[in-house]
Amino acid sequence: MSCANVMKRDRTAVINPLVTCQPMGAMYAVAGIRRGLPLVHGSQGCSTFVRYSFSRHFREPSEIAVTSLHEDAAVFGGRKNLISGIGNLAVRFKPSVIGAISTCSSEIIGDDMEGFIKIAREDLKKKMGEKEAEKIKIVPISTPSFVENHFRGYDNAIKALVTNLAQDPGDATEKINIIPGMVNPGDIREIKHIMSLMGVEGIVLTDISDPFDSPLRPSATETRPFYPKGGTTVEEIADSSNSLGTISLCGYAGSGALSLEKKYDVPAAVGPIPIGVQNTDQFLRNLKKFTDLEIPDSLLDERGLLIDSMADLASRYLFGRKVAIFGDPAISAGIARFVCELGMIPSVVCTGVENLEFVSEMEKVAKESDEPVDVMIGSDLRALEVRLEEDPVELMIGHSDGRLFAKHLDIPLVRVGYPVYDRAGYHRVPIVGYNGSVNLIDRITNTVFDKYYDKEHWKLQQ
Amino acid sequence: MQKNNKSHHNPEKGDEDVISSLDLPDIEIPEIPKEVISTLKSRKKHMCIKKEGNESTPACNQASVPGMVTQRSCVYGGARVVLMPITDAIHLVHGPLGCASCTWDIRGSRSSGSELYRNGFSTDLQEKDIVFGGEKKLLETIIELNQLFKPSAIFVYATCVVGLIGDDLKSVCREATEITGSRVIPVQSEGFRSVNKSLGHQLACDALLEYLIGTEPPQKKVNPPQKEGMKPLQKKMETFEKILPQKMTSEDDVLESQVTSDTCVNILGEFNVAGDLWAIRPLLEKIGVSIQAVITGDSRVEEIANAHLAHLNLVQCQKSSRYLADSMEECYSIPQVRVNFFGVEETSKSLISIAEFFNDPVMMDAAENLIELETNRIKDAITPYRQRLTGKQVAVYVGGNKAWSLIRAFEELGMEVLMTGTQNGLPEDYQRIKETVRDGTLIVDDANAMELARLLEKYHPDLLVSGAKEKYMSLKMGVAFCDFNHDRISSFAGFQGFLNFAREVDRAVSSPVWKYTPSIKGSVFKNPLEYPFKSKTIFNAKSQRESNCKVSLKPQ
Repeated sequence: MSCANVMKRDRTAVINPLVTCQPMGAMYAVAGIRRGLPLVHGSQGCSTFVRYSFSRHFREPSEIAVTSLHEDAAVFGGRKNLISGIGNLAVRFKPSVIGAISTCSSEIIGDDMEGFIKIAREDLKKKMGEKEAEKIKIVPISTPSFVENHFRGYDNAIKALVTNLAQDPGDATEKINIIPGMVNPGDIREIKHIMSLMGVEGIVLTDISDPFDSPLRPSATETRPFYPKGGTTVEEIADSSNSLGTISLCGYAGSGALSLEKKYDVPAAVGPIPIGVQNTDQFLRNLKKFTDLEIPDSLLDERGLLIDSMADLASRYLFGRKVAIFGDPAISAGIARFVCELGMIPSVVCTGVENLEFVSEMEKVAKESDEPVDVMIGSDLRALEVRLEEDPVELMIGHSDGRLFAKHLDIPLVRVGYPVYDRAGYHRVPIVGYNGSVNLIDRITNTVFDKYYDKEHWKLQQ
Repeated sequence: MQKNNKSHHNPEKGDEDVISSLDLPDIEIPEIPKEVISTLKSRKKHMCIKKEGNESTPACNQASVPGMVTQRSCVYGGARVVLMPITDAIHLVHGPLGCASCTWDIRGSRSSGSELYRNGFSTDLQEKDIVFGGEKKLLETIIELNQLFKPSAIFVYATCVVGLIGDDLKSVCREATEITGSRVIPVQSEGFRSVNKSLGHQLACDALLEYLIGTEPPQKKVNPPQKEGMKPLQKKMETFEKILPQKMTSEDDVLESQVTSDTCVNILGEFNVAGDLWAIRPLLEKIGVSIQAVITGDSRVEEIANAHLAHLNLVQCQKSSRYLADSMEECYSIPQVRVNFFGVEETSKSLISIAEFFNDPVMMDAAENLIELETNRIKDAITPYRQRLTGKQVAVYVGGNKAWSLIRAFEELGMEVLMTGTQNGLPEDYQRIKETVRDGTLIVDDANAMELARLLEKYHPDLLVSGAKEKYMSLKMGVAFCDFNHDRISSFAGFQGFLNFAREVDRAVSSPVWKYTPSIKGSVFKNPLEYPFKSKTIFNAKSQRESNCKVSLKPQ
């Protein structure tokens, strides 16, 4: 049993940020809706750089529209841009949902997004006819860039989608809502796999797994302008109020779940992300609690396979090694607990957020660790680098932005989360669930092999 | 190629507001025959087909239509890409975190020295800063960063927010310069200031002209000790205060003897992406030309400060650096020569025109010998690529000068340029394009994602050359792709670069994967197991392997 030393960044400047601004999280959320299009109400760079970032990570196209605010809008307001932007988007792309995402500019100008959207809706009815216009839902999502970070943006977007699109309860269903957080397509597929083994039908709010990992094959269901197949349908989101419960995998993405609980009595469970044995067990317990279904043998086998690979690998190669973990707060906390389960020491866990869920989660993890855990909040990669220069670790687990100082400090980096742009296929391979944890343990162990074992003597080291 | 309607360019209507307010009558018009592709009415004049004797340039430099998936960026983005290759400087973004988060270390611009420029610095403006102003925080941040890193300069970029809350960047930077004794340079690049990033290029050049070129470094002050033992990231910090212009090329000592002080040039608009500059520099040195400063690629602050000492400006990216070249001609009477080091013909022409400028028979001889030697060297190596690529059609859609400077290079590979265009071209850019392309070439301005998809669908090129945002859309449509933007990893400049370029293009076009992809022209891909070949793609894996064995083409 040990403690968490919580520390904050102690300089004004942010150097090599670990987080970005709110709108990016909202774009991520809206991209997971079938025929859903994010419309960023801001400068062109606000959408372009995020598209670039998505493309680099997922190796997929991403369609994000922008209202192209310019100097005249800064003076007179962005009313004209937003209304004509919605009009153009609606008529050209015929989306099911337009997520109108605010930015720093539009928030400072003081654009009344909800008001403008009302006007745009009326306008669409005139242009397209009431019936056609009704099919296009327009959801205002407030994401001021100067408040918190992209995780909050994601949370705000999911909450806005649920609040605007979920309908008053009708017939109760046997479904479970899953709010995945900003995880990879592979992770969402693994969650769906677990749920199908349990025999639970799910509504994923929202499901980026197919939109951000789609086949090179003309879609059977969608015609051009090309929308990727998959994604959560508007009907599914509307139906989310009838579900048995909502599980939000990531601590930062709980607002949507809590709003469903408050408004429609759909019970909520928020976090922890199912990485490792205990967290995945917890996820299954939540599923069981909401559905009253037994956990099937097949899942117990998957759990057994995880324990088996832990037994094979952990004590031999991983035990006692110091690790630094950085990036997404939920994923970092999940991995920190998992490395404790492997007998490794999570010496430093570093994120760019300052939220309290993360701190309390880490305090729990620290109790499971043999040594104290440095928990860096509101931090950046530079601060982590300085910390690791003083007191090195044997392994880092985090995203690709850490690659430069990992090389500089000569510490191997196991890549997880977002963004990973210097490895192939990492968005496809899950790290959640029992299977995902097996992948993670393999990834960690192989990295340890490469760095700390003599490649000439494999046979002796088995 | 489909016949085009008459030129759409209409200078009188150039300023017409394309933001079509609330009524949207444009949109319901069905596809008009003979047009390039189906799109908004206001967008039609942005596409044209080059014809003999015709004013074949598209309308350009207008605001993108709101609600489209634009490929454009913001003014800040434009300024950032131009200045980022100054390697020993801190590039501090004054704004909310996202503007720095999304843009740090995204340029494949290489450095031979400091790595400081690859870090992302932000003032991370928060709600309270928006309310009370961010000037104090900015000053604090600059002082702090100067203590931690002792950079040669700190560039401070304005973002949208700064323009809206009215922080006075210039006065903060002036104050910071006095306090720190370092160069602190404001870049007034508020994101919304223009319809595209071209203005950002210009504003970046303005910052260089006003605060750096031809200026003395401020008196360095003794800094108080660093906080928390932070160390600078760069490998080595050099001081340039005493270095004379002639010694700037000291990394290549071998060639130094040939450098003469009266043939000293700047290269403008060469960003050293994938090390292009390192391919160009030896060519120049071999003909006896030394480089004073590169603006900007693998650049040091003090090199640029002395750029006014050069005798000639070579303008490589005529898009981003035309303005700078003109201004330097005006202020410092430095003449300019346009160069283009992509392709054998263009590289040769550039070397000859430099020799012509200096009017030096020795240099001309050296240039001619070099061209002959290098051309012979790569002639044979290029043949197998040309054999496979001849007749293939290529579409170019890029952000800068590549929209015209690549055309000849493709033609040298036997390829036909079907379409070329840029996101942010100015009238003079389209003039250059028009002068360069053959009749029948489609020229597009600011094509958004949907238009680009339709263009690919309709004209079905064998290859698209563009940037990362377009890459996966292109591949998803079964069109081969070659990156000619920030992300590429092989150098394409000079003679050897042309070989690298040929290899990359061949890899993209001749990949066996295109055997298995559905033809985008074919309506429905009914039975995926029947492998319908795309009619134009003839792949011969065996010959490719053989040629790879024959020619060893290692990236530099």
